[in-house]
Order: sequence, then structure tokens, then C-alpha cells
Amino acid sequence: MRILYINNDGAGYADYVQIAENTTVEQFFTIKMNDCDSVDYLIRVNRQPVTRDYVLRDGDRVTITPRKIEGAVC
Amino acid sequence: MKKYRDKIKLANVLLDALYELKTAKLQYIQGKLENFSFKCSEVTKSSNIFNVAVNKGWFKSTEKIRSRVSRNLCDFTYHLNQFKDIINSNETKPLKLSGIFADLNQIEQEFGELKFNLKAKTISVITDSIELDGISLGPFEIRLFIDQMSKLYSDTPYKAIALEPNPAATDDNVTHPHVSSEKVCEGDGQIAIRRAIEQGRLCDFFTMVVNILQTYNPDSPYVSLDDWEGISCYDCGYTVAGDECYYCENCEHDYCSQCSTYCQICDTTICLGCSFECPDCEQPVCQHCTAVCAECEETVCKNCINEEGLCHQCQEKRKEQENEEKKEEAEKPKANATVQSDSVGEAIVHA
Repeated sequence: MRILYINNDGAGYADYVQIAENTTVEQFFTIKMNDCDSVDYLIRVNRQPVTRDYVLRDGDRVTITPRKIEGAVC
Repeated sequence: MKKYRDKIKLANVLLDALYELKTAKLQYIQGKLENFSFKCSEVTKSSNIFNVAVNKGWFKSTEKIRSRVSRNLCDFTYHLNQFKDIINSNETKPLKLSGIFADLNQIEQEFGELKFNLKAKTISVITDSIELDGISLGPFEIRLFIDQMSKLYSDTPYKAIALEPNPAATDDNVTHPHVSSEKVCEGDGQIAIRRAIEQGRLCDFFTMVVNILQTYNPDSPYVSLDDWEGISCYDCGYTVAGDECYYCENCEHDYCSQCSTYCQICDTTICLGCSFECPDCEQPVCQHCTAVCAECEETVCKNCINEEGLCHQCQEKRKEQENEEKKEEAEKPKANATVQSDSVGEAIVHA
């Protein structure tokens, strides 16, 4: 099935991706974010906060945004 | 009902601005493309000239061209990377009014309130009070100027306005370690923030800006939080940044650059109060580098005292004295000689 995956970490990424049926948010995060800790990220599905065991459905919109973003001097 | 209608109006205004931004982006790509083409044509030109120079055996010219191409390569890489950045940004789906409307609702849900002004064409959210490393910076209003969204590639279309400002002691314009004159320096978030605005993901945009404001990067702040409150000069009271203040090793207080100096002999930093101006050379020195003249008992710097412990003035006086003594001594034999000459005049005349 296909979902819209928006990753606001680093250079930013927004595209449709294929995932297996019955993938939970937690599993999806582990696949996409490797060694990252989910506590450091704000995860929204269809613009709403969800629990980690939420099972993703076809057409869902998943947004992952880091809670800490380092600014700089311009 | 009115608020709902206004929100739809706002979504329409935003949609128009996003289409304008899309055109601006295409124009930006066009500009970069032309720039890149120009750089490529320069390489082609250099290649042709180089070819001619090689065939004619003009080795000096080939060296010049080689050197120019080598210099231009760095420039070329920069333009290539910029071009890659802009051309690689992917489009997900066409912008829709419903998507923008849903985003506006999400902003309300995430931030509690969505403030917008249809006349001024601004949309803003207010953060909670921000505290970094124990320093309270107050809440910020992040205000997006819809009219300026099309300038995304040349300017920042939003501001972070401190509502209860606690600016850095050394610079009133710095209201946050990463905000100067209400402009946020996005650092790691720059590209993701641009992408979010381009794609009309306004809630993501606001969330990321808030997350930058809630994070402190000690490696690259406008003003370090360590120096946020600044250090007050012990003498004049002027507030200076930590790295601009000078510690007097004698009285053990901090001073500004105007109220401090350094010993011209041992280089120790001292305040003006603890420094001593040598009456001879008029240079400031610390108390350890002073000495008392053995003759006049005046205090001077160590550089102005000789091995015998005399200051310049006393040295000169002594010299003068010695000269006079020498003069006197020199005059004595001269007097004898005169007598002698007289005696010569009275030489024995042989009968």
C-alpha cells in the first residue's frame, strides 16, 4: 500500500512510499529513521497525534518532525 | 461562522501566494539554469582556446588557461551544487484549497490559536515562553508575511517577534541566540523550512520554527547564552560581552577595553587604576615592573632605570656632572700649557 511520507529532518523529504500491510507507526519509524529515537520526533498521522501501535492505512499522511532543530548565525 | 468564512478567505489568499511562489521558484530555477549554462559555455570557450594554444605550441598561454580553468572549477562546483539543490526538490501533489484549510485547522490544534490579518496578509502563531539554559526569553510571535512568500529564495518571509523581549546585554537586536533583528537563522532547518513553505505545509513550517526557537546551538549563536547577561565594567559600568572584557590581575576585577590596558614590560592586563604611567617614557606598566630611583627616589618603570638604579633624569644629571668634572680636569692641564708657552717665550737667550 502507498502512504505520503513527510520527513522534516535534514533536507526535508515529501513523497509517496510503498509499505507493507499492517505496518505500525513504530515499525515505520524504525524502518525510515534507523538509529533515531522516536522521543526526539513529533509524529503525526493525517495531522493527528497517534499511538505507536497505530496501524497505517493506504493513503495515510505521516509527518515526522524533529523536536530539536539547531539554528545558527546567518 | 464569520471566522470560518475568514479562514476560507485566508486559505484562498495563501493558495494564490503559493502559486506565485511556484512561479518565483521556476524563475529562480531559470536563473540558476542560465548561470549554470554560462559557466558551461565558459569551460567550452576555455577548451577551444586551450586547443589552439596547444597546437601552436604557446606553452605560456596554455599555462594561463589551465590556471584559469583550475580557479573556475571551484566556482563551477558551487554553482553545480546550488543548481542540484534547487532542481532536485520534488513536488508531491498539486496544491489544493482543502489541504491548506486542513493545515490551518492543524495549526489551531497544535498551537491553540491561529492569528491572521487578511488586510495585512499575515498569519501568525504564538509560542509558549521560551527558556534556554535557565535564561527566559519570553514568548515569540512567528509571523508569516503572505505577500512576501514569493521572495522565499532571496529573503525570509517571516519574523520571530519577541513579545516579552529579554535581549542579549550586548545587542538589543538579538532576542534569541539564533534570532537577530527578528530574523531567525534556521541553520539545520533551512532547507526543510523552505520545502514546507513551498508545499504549503504551514503547520510543519510553524512547528519547525518553534523547534528552532526551543533549541540552543552553542556552536553558532549570535550571542552565547553564557554572555547573555554580559559583564559590567567595574570602572565605568558599561556592559560588555564575556570575550570582550579584560580581567585586571592586580585588583581582580573585570573591565571594558576603554578602562583597561596592559603592562608595556610584562604584557599583564591591568585596569587603568592599577596601571602606573612612567614619568620618563609615559608608558603604562604594572606595579611589579616599577622601580625607585636610587638618587631622586622617584618611581619609574624598570625600562627607564639603569644598572646603577638611576632614572633617566638622574643619569643625565650625573652625566652632566661628570662632563663638568672632566671639563674642569681638562682645563687644568691647559692652564699649565699656557704657562709653559709663556716660559717658552721667555726662553733662555744665549749670551
